Amino acid sequence: MEVVGKSVIRKEAFDKVTGRARYTHDYQTSGMLSAKMVISPYGHAKIVSIDTSKARQVPGVRAIIAGKRYPLTGEAIRDRPPIAVDKVRYHGEPVALVVADTPGQAKTAADLIHVQYEPLPVVNSPTQAFRRDAPLVHERLGEYKKEEDSHPVPGTNIATHIKIRKGNMEKGWSESEVVVEASFSFAPSDHAAMETRCSTAEILPDGQIIIMTSSQAPFMAKRLIADYFGEDMGKIIVHTPFVGGAYGGKASVQLEVLAYIASKEVGGKPVKLLNTREEDILTSPCHIGLDATVKLGADRNGKLKAAEIQYLWDGGAYSDKAIDVTRSGAVDCTGPYKLENVWCDSYCMYTNHPYAAPFRGFSHSELSFAIERTMDILAGKLNMDPLELRHINAIQPGDTTPTRVLLNRSNIGDLRKCIEKLRELFNWNEGPVKEINERYVRVKGISCSWKTSTIDPDAPSGVILTFNRDGSINLMSGVIEIGTGTKTVLAQILAERLKMDVDKIHVRMEVDTQTTPEHWKTVASRGTYMGGRAVLEAAEDVIRQLTEIAACVLRAPIQDLEVGGSRVYLRDDPAIGLHFKDIGYGYQYPNGNAIGGQIIGKGNIVLRHLSHLDPETGAGKPGPEWTPAAYGVEIEFDRRDYTYRLVKACTVVDIGKVMNEKAALGQVMGAMSMGLAFAGRETFYFDELGRVLNPQLRTYRPLRYGENPEFLVGFVETPALDSAYGARGVGEHGLMGMPGALGNALSLAAGVSFHHLPLIPELVWKAKEAARNASI
Amino acid sequence: MLPFDFDYYRPQSLSEAVELYQYVAQQGKKPMFFSGGTELITLGRIDLAHADAVIDIKGIAEGRVMEMDGEYLVLGSTLSLTNIEEANPFPLLTKTSSEIADHTARGKITVGGNICGQIFYREAVLPFLLSDSQVVLVGPKGVKTAFIHDVFNQELQLEKGEFLVQLATERRFVEAPSISIKRRQQWDTGYPLITIAALKIDREIRVAISGLCPFPFRSREVEEVLNRQGVTGEARVERALTVLPRPILNDIEGSTEYRLFVLKNLFIDVLRSLDGMTV
Repeated sequence: MEVVGKSVIRKEAFDKVTGRARYTHDYQTSGMLSAKMVISPYGHAKIVSIDTSKARQVPGVRAIIAGKRYPLTGEAIRDRPPIAVDKVRYHGEPVALVVADTPGQAKTAADLIHVQYEPLPVVNSPTQAFRRDAPLVHERLGEYKKEEDSHPVPGTNIATHIKIRKGNMEKGWSESEVVVEASFSFAPSDHAAMETRCSTAEILPDGQIIIMTSSQAPFMAKRLIADYFGEDMGKIIVHTPFVGGAYGGKASVQLEVLAYIASKEVGGKPVKLLNTREEDILTSPCHIGLDATVKLGADRNGKLKAAEIQYLWDGGAYSDKAIDVTRSGAVDCTGPYKLENVWCDSYCMYTNHPYAAPFRGFSHSELSFAIERTMDILAGKLNMDPLELRHINAIQPGDTTPTRVLLNRSNIGDLRKCIEKLRELFNWNEGPVKEINERYVRVKGISCSWKTSTIDPDAPSGVILTFNRDGSINLMSGVIEIGTGTKTVLAQILAERLKMDVDKIHVRMEVDTQTTPEHWKTVASRGTYMGGRAVLEAAEDVIRQLTEIAACVLRAPIQDLEVGGSRVYLRDDPAIGLHFKDIGYGYQYPNGNAIGGQIIGKGNIVLRHLSHLDPETGAGKPGPEWTPAAYGVEIEFDRRDYTYRLVKACTVVDIGKVMNEKAALGQVMGAMSMGLAFAGRETFYFDELGRVLNPQLRTYRPLRYGENPEFLVGFVETPALDSAYGARGVGEHGLMGMPGALGNALSLAAGVSFHHLPLIPELVWKAKEAARNASI
Repeated sequence: MLPFDFDYYRPQSLSEAVELYQYVAQQGKKPMFFSGGTELITLGRIDLAHADAVIDIKGIAEGRVMEMDGEYLVLGSTLSLTNIEEANPFPLLTKTSSEIADHTARGKITVGGNICGQIFYREAVLPFLLSDSQVVLVGPKGVKTAFIHDVFNQELQLEKGEFLVQLATERRFVEAPSISIKRRQQWDTGYPLITIAALKIDREIRVAISGLCPFPFRSREVEEVLNRQGVTGEARVERALTVLPRPILNDIEGSTEYRLFVLKNLFIDVLRSLDGMTV
């Protein structure tokens, strides 16, 4: 192939490296007002009173919104007031909104709003939320409007319950000669994208609602604002320019709603709401936490026979996207292993924590930590090489998933090939432990994962192509450029299909929901998978139009024509042909007669045969294909201090087809870096009032350059037959196995089993102290 | 974004700076001496720092000094940590301050600003505590020179309108064998769980610590125990852990007990490095 697979420099690279790329906050129209939130300092408290009298006297203040009831919001369950009324349910929840002429005035006024609270008992973990006597986060859960496949249990903190019932558990346990059971937990954390979220809104006199937002889901923002507030969908236009990192956190719709409300309160004037870093961490939705219990049974040869799993997801104060995360966690609950007998309960729990957004991997990095640690415990009990245990259980064509999808050579990648490549790349055969000296030891841990993308069954992706008079092509897709380079890959796909120079394809980076065809959401590693299909369809459309007009001009049958090099030409005599510049805008004969017109191509796609899950058994087809991967992490452990250094991190992923090598490497390495930070350091620390104690980058610390290990990446290419050139999703997968592999390495190094994240030295010290005290 | 406006002054002399401070204060406004500015910017935006007028002392020549004056190394308080790292006149100070914040911030943070900072780690003071340095202060009563131990107790005890101009350190301390180790909650980013700086002079080991307590300190009691003759290294370390100042921090960076575990190993590292202790 000429273009696909090459490391084409991303189209927006020059804008970005020169600092010229513009993000939502960089756009400022004259007369734009500023909004500022007042946020809750408590996890759970009754709002007794709100005094805004002093704030109203601040010059420049246009509106103060507090205590006002708006329609409830939320994607899966309408459980969230945009601005809290009656009570607050999490630290950081918006309690009031000030609109003023300048950001400084808005902040000054916001600081003068006095809110009196009466603390309520706090639900501080999903396990606590699950207890029968737990305080209720939502007393009126039964009254909320909801999607059909959300299953809240009124009178409890259960926002949804997804069941997987596959096979015969009794048979599974009776065939199990070795059984292991373990529990795992970690608190919510943050995405920490470089760009904090920002939205602007303006309501024009004719009723048009113009929104600009740093979002992965501008089309969803349009839909939800229409739904929530009864606005005409066609009058809502959402713009999204470049987005400075998203990682799932910008798939939730939140600030858009607040900006819309703010603008409405000031007669439709343009209003901007920009999160401070603290608000971005606290107020906007976070990375979900989890309490998990996993029980695995195997025969003496290590063949898995049964799995019983409970996931209690920490959805936080409002269910929103956590409902879907909970479902996704059930769908792939076992990890990438063949299992005939599976029983899984995946619960989305309400707690008094910041509510959850999707996070890169969408439940899979989280559940993989629990599954992969348990697999290592099982390997230990079987006295078996942990990589071998995974190899013999690796899921394959002919097997079925927990939701009973029959796998074939296209819809699942080749996990065994990934494992074999990892064995080589990670030098697994030298053994997991290398002694350096009495104090230091190098230890390797491994893990596996898989993922399908549980997007809405009717989620669309569309592409429009238009020609310029010089024969170059404009590509418009609703995929958001969130930093992944996906739009460049779409251009490569088009260039490959039309056999033309990729530099002659111009990609529109900004998306607006009025003129850009919809791409459902830029999530779930679906940009290339779905957008690519739409591009190919649009390419066929323009080929048809180009060859039709060329056939007429060249007086040759369409079947004799080829497209390539920005030309349409005769297959057997390429010298005879027409350049795109002569036909892309129609053709004009020497005498002035013209035929055709500007060529406009279109392509769109919805995924085939996706279905809802059966509420009792979980059976159903949740996603189109599974990407499997195998991972390794090597650490150097200090036996005296219990500290460790990351030496190597390795991912081998079946990507289907490498579309842009450097971009793919960047995606996988970046994801590994995030996964290691999540596993090794990033977490929210809560106090007994449900307050996040570290809502700043001073104390909330992603991985910094220099702390990273050497990254090793391997690709396996088992094509997904229905996708563009066979590509599978790859945006998330480097992350997913890192917590499990690091946990396995550290457990082996320290000689104690770790069940919590983050894996900080103090955790090791505590475990060692506990072990020592137990032995005394 | 800072939520308040302030007047900005950049005096060229010590006396001008002192006078400006008094002038602003007399008007009922809150003045602040300003050096690198990182705390005002980062704490000001979250309402933890405020000033009506900032008096930027970086234009004053005395504060930019970096020279040997006889047997003394004199360092101006407005030298940035990067200035000091690059010139490296005091290796222990270089080592300690190069672990503060990050590279970008160290280009702004000044040695005086770190010592006088609101954020209580103030690691840059540790080498000066160990080397019995002199500090030069200026205020309404004029310039005064003081022994650091007389004016630094948890923080620099400045009178109203006073600021730190210079630090002077004897050459023999600058050249003494030393070690500085920073341990964090995890890896290489973040505040200290514990930072320890130590040097050996006249066959005695001195240690100064940040991150253990909500203030940096040098403790005579600890040093006395660590230098005790005829006792094994391990016993000295165990004993030193019992004479520490209080309170010992217990926060999201680490629990009290864990900090003591970390400190114990750091004491061992110091004794190994400076006292030839073998463990």
